Amino acid sequence: MAKVDPVVEQAVDTLGLNPITRRRLLTGAGLTSATLAASALLAACGSNDNKSSSGSAAAAGAGDFPSTPKYKFVFVCHVTTNSFFTPTQYGAQDACALLNTEFQWTGSKDAVVAEMVNATNTAISAKADGIALAVVDKAAFKAPVDQALDAGIPVVSYNADGAKGDPGTNRLAYIGQGLYESGLALGQRALDAGLASGDVVGFIATPGALNIQPRIDGASDAIKQSGKPIKFTPVGTNADVVKGASIIDAYAQGHPNLTGMLAVDAGSTEALGKTVAKYKLRDKSLKVAGGFDLNPGTLTAVKAGNLDYTIDQQPYLQGFLPVLYLYLYKLSGGLIAPPETNTGLLFVTKENVDPYLQTKTRFEGSSTQQQVVQRSGAIAHA
Amino acid sequence: VSDTIEVTERAEAAPPGRPTRRILRRVGEEFLRRREASVLVVAVGLGIYFAYAEPAFLTQPNLVNISQATAPTAIVAAGMVLVMVSGEIDLSVGAVYALAPFNMHYLIDYYSVPVIPAILLALLISAVIGFANGFITWVFKVPSFVTTLGTLNVVIGIVLVTSHAYPSPIPDQATGAVQRWLGGADWSQLIWCLLIVGFFHLVLTSTRWGLHTVAVGGNLLGATEAGIRAGRIKIGNFMIVATLGGFAGIMDAFRINTIDPNLGGGTTIMFAAVSAAVIGGTALAGGSGTVIGAFLGALVLAELQNGMNLIGISANPYFIILGLAILVSMIANVYLSRLRRAGRT
Repeated sequence: MAKVDPVVEQAVDTLGLNPITRRRLLTGAGLTSATLAASALLAACGSNDNKSSSGSAAAAGAGDFPSTPKYKFVFVCHVTTNSFFTPTQYGAQDACALLNTEFQWTGSKDAVVAEMVNATNTAISAKADGIALAVVDKAAFKAPVDQALDAGIPVVSYNADGAKGDPGTNRLAYIGQGLYESGLALGQRALDAGLASGDVVGFIATPGALNIQPRIDGASDAIKQSGKPIKFTPVGTNADVVKGASIIDAYAQGHPNLTGMLAVDAGSTEALGKTVAKYKLRDKSLKVAGGFDLNPGTLTAVKAGNLDYTIDQQPYLQGFLPVLYLYLYKLSGGLIAPPETNTGLLFVTKENVDPYLQTKTRFEGSSTQQQVVQRSGAIAHA
Repeated sequence: VSDTIEVTERAEAAPPGRPTRRILRRVGEEFLRRREASVLVVAVGLGIYFAYAEPAFLTQPNLVNISQATAPTAIVAAGMVLVMVSGEIDLSVGAVYALAPFNMHYLIDYYSVPVIPAILLALLISAVIGFANGFITWVFKVPSFVTTLGTLNVVIGIVLVTSHAYPSPIPDQATGAVQRWLGGADWSQLIWCLLIVGFFHLVLTSTRWGLHTVAVGGNLLGATEAGIRAGRIKIGNFMIVATLGGFAGIMDAFRINTIDPNLGGGTTIMFAAVSAAVIGGTALAGGSGTVIGAFLGALVLAELQNGMNLIGISANPYFIILGLAILVSMIANVYLSRLRRAGRT
């Protein structure tokens, strides 16, 4: 694709595109560009040998890659409509646009494992080119994943990966946060922030669900291992955020002497921030409050100082990287094996929360728009 | 979908011989006279569309997928039809569906009950919950919508508390042959489903129990005056739907090889079963309904879900398209049944 036939260039000029689109088009990235190029050629030059030119544009793969069929990857999610996964879907979308592939977002709306198994099996019968699966149960997905692998379909897990020490499937790799480790970090950070004694509560929306239970185990272990006189109590809230909020509210009223309040899921963390503000718990015995994810309410609570920190697990990458890995696996005939990837453990505190609040981006799921986010100043480091 | 009918009829009517045409028309009229005909046409129409849109739709592994999505809904719907025909509704069946496999697990692993008796006991406990539903509804005159809303929450709570909201593996003793026969093998769920649907179709259409169920739902006062013991009928039907719910739950647990406290989300399977029954031609107000229609309704729902997954519709637009597809199919269904009624007079 390095050399572009001058006739093609002329033809493309007739389309009146902006320079970036024009260049993308001429380098042949994306199916749309191929179609555009073909239609431009058909419209602009009847006399020329347009068959071979448009043919070469259509045959080109993404970037320098050779031409491939348009691979289709299927993401099976446990809560398909949960806003946590909006940036994940944008990540997958962007990777697909980059690599000229497509993806399907499916699974269950309410974490019904049977529906997820059905969706996985359907992806296998549809001969998907790759599957990314949130393994929220440690037994149910073993057979479907084995079937997919037997059928030559690569499978990676994302966001959730069985229980601690038991991935639950024979997937090629996990792309997501180390769940137990992130829980450990949550607890450790609380200790570092000065938590030394007293009653600490840990809120968890769905106890036993394998995408968050390891976190609360980790937090509990961190506090136990410190040997400090702290009593840690895990409390189940609810998958329904509204119900969960009232449970947290009630717990705070009933336990006025808490020294620490932690939460291990997005909904509980947001509700925790609101509760701390409502009862002005910071003026009382509460020393540390922290949790997970970047819900808007959570971020404002961090800014206002009601929460000390929240942990960003970069959901965008949990969509982007699986597509990239599955694509490379297909392209290399399996020579590039998907690597285990920890999508991160980034503490968002009062110091670095501003860019999250001020920008609206696809990376946080708060905007559909493609944009370059400018940053300035020094990069925070230890 | 109505086009499909016209086309086939025209094609059938093409040979000029008069007697054959008359016979074919007779067959066609007989077919259309059946209550299930319209939803069958919808189911077949959807099948043809998806097979045309995506060749993988009719492959053997995908037919297994469809059968596995149809069977649990259709089994629960068979019982739901009886309850609805008798003029009530059961919202708690999804919770019973989640509880039954846990009861089986507790009995086997904590009380060392052998597998088959444990399964039967789990079904018995399901039936007891159904009895409670019926008893409260009939004796205390609480509307069944409210009664079963209460038991739905109680039973879900029991599931979450006893399981610590944590999934359990299938007990070792139950793996192997039992698991394969009860949902684990590819077609086993469909076979059970067809047996159950066939049986309850006969119960509803050809037995005294079925007749009394229709009578109680159609005209409660008239039925009681005629000496039908309405309470017994209603309570019995609640027990049937709960038992079937428990059975479907156990089979689904065997199929997905885990006992999940969120199995069916408490309400997902109940909602699917009510939808299947209504799509299949069961009146929400009671007094009329068909078990085979409910099976076809479940098939339509499974086809829609599977087919749209197959042609690659993502989760968010899926609900728009599913909703529209249900509306379009059901408008066609209502239109077809109007044709049917017109043909009868």
